Amino acid sequence: MVSPFCWGCLTRLRPTPRTLLPSPSSVSRGPAFHTSAVFHAGLRPGSGRGATAVSKFRQPSNASMKKRKKPVEKSRPPPVGERKAIRKRIVLSNPNALEVEGLQELSEETMVDSRLHGTALALPVPMLDQLRAVQAFKPNQGWSIFRRPCTILRQETLQLGRFFDKVSGDGEHKGPFVKKKIISGPSKSGKSVLLLQAMAMGFIKKWVVFTIPEAQELVSATSSYAPLSEEQPHLYVQNEATAALLSRTVVANKAVLSKLRVSQDHPALSAVTPGMTLEGLANLGVQDPASAWTVFQALWGELTATAAAPGLEKNFTPRPPILVTVDGLGHWMTESKYRDAEFKLVHSHDLVLVRHFLRLLKPGGDQPALPNGGALLYATSTTMNPPSVYAFDLILKRAAARAAGFKFNDPRFPRAEAYSNIDPRVLEALTSQKSKHAQEKKLGHQVLGGVTHDEARGFMEYFARSGLLQETISDEWVSEKWTLAGGGVIGELERIGRRLRVAA
Amino acid sequence: MAWSSSNCVVHAMQSIRSPTVLRALLPQQSAARPNILRKVSLLPTPLQQRTNVRNYATELQPGEVQAAAEIDFEQFKARPARIVPVSPSYFSGIPKFYDHLLQIERLLAQHTTLPTVPPSEAPRRAWMKIAQFREHLGEEVPTKKYMGLLKVVYRLNCIDPKLLPAEVDAALQEFVRPGNPLGEKPKPRELDGMGRARGKGKRKESHAVVYLVEGEGEVLVNGKTLNEVFPRVHDRESATWALRCSARLDKYNVFARVKGGGTTGQAEAITLALARALMIHEPGLKPILRKAGVITVDPRRVERKKPGHMKARKMPTWVKR
Repeated sequence: MVSPFCWGCLTRLRPTPRTLLPSPSSVSRGPAFHTSAVFHAGLRPGSGRGATAVSKFRQPSNASMKKRKKPVEKSRPPPVGERKAIRKRIVLSNPNALEVEGLQELSEETMVDSRLHGTALALPVPMLDQLRAVQAFKPNQGWSIFRRPCTILRQETLQLGRFFDKVSGDGEHKGPFVKKKIISGPSKSGKSVLLLQAMAMGFIKKWVVFTIPEAQELVSATSSYAPLSEEQPHLYVQNEATAALLSRTVVANKAVLSKLRVSQDHPALSAVTPGMTLEGLANLGVQDPASAWTVFQALWGELTATAAAPGLEKNFTPRPPILVTVDGLGHWMTESKYRDAEFKLVHSHDLVLVRHFLRLLKPGGDQPALPNGGALLYATSTTMNPPSVYAFDLILKRAAARAAGFKFNDPRFPRAEAYSNIDPRVLEALTSQKSKHAQEKKLGHQVLGGVTHDEARGFMEYFARSGLLQETISDEWVSEKWTLAGGGVIGELERIGRRLRVAA
Repeated sequence: MAWSSSNCVVHAMQSIRSPTVLRALLPQQSAARPNILRKVSLLPTPLQQRTNVRNYATELQPGEVQAAAEIDFEQFKARPARIVPVSPSYFSGIPKFYDHLLQIERLLAQHTTLPTVPPSEAPRRAWMKIAQFREHLGEEVPTKKYMGLLKVVYRLNCIDPKLLPAEVDAALQEFVRPGNPLGEKPKPRELDGMGRARGKGKRKESHAVVYLVEGEGEVLVNGKTLNEVFPRVHDRESATWALRCSARLDKYNVFARVKGGGTTGQAEAITLALARALMIHEPGLKPILRKAGVITVDPRRVERKKPGHMKARKMPTWVKR
């Protein structure tokens, strides 16, 4: 190395570049093989930490801001089940809402009164417990903004009311009529509320009401299942779900079931004693879920009996009509989430409970589905994310075409597309055949659309009288909201109406 | 290109002899003093004789005319020394433009005394845009110069149409956009045979076509109801705003087809299309709709991203080094 001094004259030569001679006091030690960047950084004025702050010179820098770490939540999550309970909580009353004056209740007279068409009718308070028991209310139906639960008497409700009146009335048209209907329609069009109104009418008329509030729950593999028997290993029984159904039915129909007595032989059930009420019979299944399916069959046999078994005549009283409502029928039209022994998906129609209720829907059986009359109302659901089943869509289209007057031979009658891989079980389960019984009609299909202008006006007036709307209800205003609600879709009307506007 | 002899003297003599004739043709002078025109007509040498006058170098006595010898092109002695362009503005770089400018300036000078009408009453013509004019000429005309030319054109267009000379009309036609879009007003749109009015609208990336018929307030968008297409109530309101603000919501049925863009764009494209269709049914509603802001086209589009920017305008964070 060349010395910085000229030995000849002892004057210092050009100063050596300092990079070659890092002074250990000012520069902290970096890697031995690379000194320059560390040195420059150390020399930079104002750098507090000296050589440790190495700036990125001509290097790509990330322009986005560095995200701060979120503070870790220290509090414990709510207890198990609490969130779900909040989500599923049903509030039926709002003490801040005004009490509507002159509000009429749903009753035997009002449910067929066409003068009340388009007005809100309150559900009777004693019935609310029954309706809660059958899970007729859903969390998102907006019950919690009014003083007490009310429903609008729309055209379809009136038709339903007349049918209930016809079946249980004492006029000359009385008879064990059966209505079988699939109710479909766009989202928020009031399908579930129509079922609720039917249940309320059933309770008023003292029918026995069976409900499946969420059809999805039977097929989503959330409850236990087992093969039905050794002889029929491909059928599956859901004991807990059946027990829950029995429990719902018992609580809601206590008044009716406690007056009816066992009038048939039930060799499979040793606990059944002659003279036992049907309430007691159903409670057997609630208490012992292992026998729930047998009990359900026994109960169903009792309720559909037209005459007593020999020797038990003194216990027999005429059985009331039955109302069966199912919400979310589309979920039953495909494979369930359950697995069989070979780990293949079990078809929904192989679950005995589902199979039972679907068999009722199919006309043309040897036995009438409901010999004592009644109604089978099965609604589709759009909010519960239903599976898209081509065969089911085709059946609904065909039912609509049949209602429009197209015959099967008509070229415009909907047919299955080639190679559509249609599910034959669905097609077979719902294909409408000619009924062998005079009281039974063909499988009907009702498309629930928007309400009419008059019904919308009545609905909005109910909002105004409850103190939720502070606007003058005029025809123009109502028809504007009717249009904005997509042609009077009642759920949308409710959404528009509940947006509280304070008059300035 | 014209052939010219190399004889400079000849040219010089010509320029000396002809100034009065040429000056008379200059538009500025004639514009300033139109009485010169009269003088020009009184000049002893009419234009027709000029050629004869020019050829004075080869002047011959009328009696002794002889046929010239046949030209032998093989041994053509008088080769041109240089090529002179036809247009005197050749060396300006944009000769065609200057030719046009000079021509209409001359026309203006000639007809400057003709009575004019106010610009609002002048016949509407769609003049060529600068890009179109550049393409038409094939020259890079500066914008400012073209604007200057258009000023002359506007002035000429203001001449009373009844007295407009044919040559001015022909010259103006040179600057009119092909097809003359503003020339005739479009036919007022009408209902079709089935009572439907059709309107089109655009907003952002969305295009909407609306068919409007008399009815009771039903709305279908792409075959679906309003609430299925627009989950947001605000979008439903803005889509039907034209009917709402004119209190016609329960008097018409709407059938709309809309594609492209997002939800808001689609809703507002329907607004515009609906307003246009409504004006076919009821043209008298135009002031109301104008006031409601539903027939004003919003031409804004997404601004393009630029290099060096994160988005259209956003810059990366400034770092010291």
